[in-house]
Amino acid sequence: MWFLLMLVILLTNGMSAFGLKMIAAWGLPETVKYPYLTVWYAGGLAVIALPMLWKGMRLGKTEVAWGALAGALSIGGQVAMAMALNRGVPGHVVFPISIGGSIFVVALAGRLMFGERLSAPTAIGLALGFIAVILVGVS
Amino acid sequence: MGILLSFLGGLSFGLLGTALKAAERRKADAAGLVVSAYAWPALFMLFKTVLQKSGGHIPAKVFVIAVIFGICAAVASLAFQVSIGFGKVTVGWLMMNLSAGVPAAVSVWMYHEGLTVMKVVALGLVVVSIVFLSWGQVIEKRADGRNPSGGA
Repeated sequence: MWFLLMLVILLTNGMSAFGLKMIAAWGLPETVKYPYLTVWYAGGLAVIALPMLWKGMRLGKTEVAWGALAGALSIGGQVAMAMALNRGVPGHVVFPISIGGSIFVVALAGRLMFGERLSAPTAIGLALGFIAVILVGVS
Repeated sequence: MGILLSFLGGLSFGLLGTALKAAERRKADAAGLVVSAYAWPALFMLFKTVLQKSGGHIPAKVFVIAVIFGICAAVASLAFQVSIGFGKVTVGWLMMNLSAGVPAAVSVWMYHEGLTVMKVVALGLVVVSIVFLSWGQVIEKRADGRNPSGGA
């Protein structure tokens, strides 16, 4: 089950950001970005919400509150990165710092808040993955 | 200031991963959490679209790819949220970020982007990292089997 989920994450999350690249390749103006992202979020929302509605499931307070926090943090991260880029910091500097920083924060929280202990191969995989993500951002 | 903003971006995304794990610990339903997490940014983007002078016109082909890639993102978010119910958030979050290697590889094939040495090394490290993470998962699962009270 874990392997299947990781494969799904790799393929779907990886491709989810590819649309902006396609828009740039088509030479479309920047103004199309916000309508694109509106439909992008709405499409994602619908594919999860419709089966929930079909089953008669409802959102609880826990999901609404934590979801709102997650949404705010997601937008906050995007806005901070966009502001850094707008101030002239090159993408090969902004992306590795932001992505590498987020992995560091989650690893720290995983250890300190959630008591996660990593086996030696996982720790090596984490270190190599950290370097890989930074190199992908730089290249 | 730009560098500080980059670090703030990293902190914000890191806190996002942490918040999702904290929500899982509070027994938040994975699908419900994804719906709520997507609803707020959708409203924010709709607000930004309405404020645009261009009126938010979207060509049909852009609409189609937005729906397809939005569905991809939601499926990934749901898979991540389910995975941290029994796996480590650190590994799940790294996998979310390692997935950046997929569009990088597709771009080389689709747009004939140059395959630099750094890109080859980066994509190679993505693969090696996944092998180590999978190996670690097998070892940790065996250890949890011997000691059911342990684990994430």
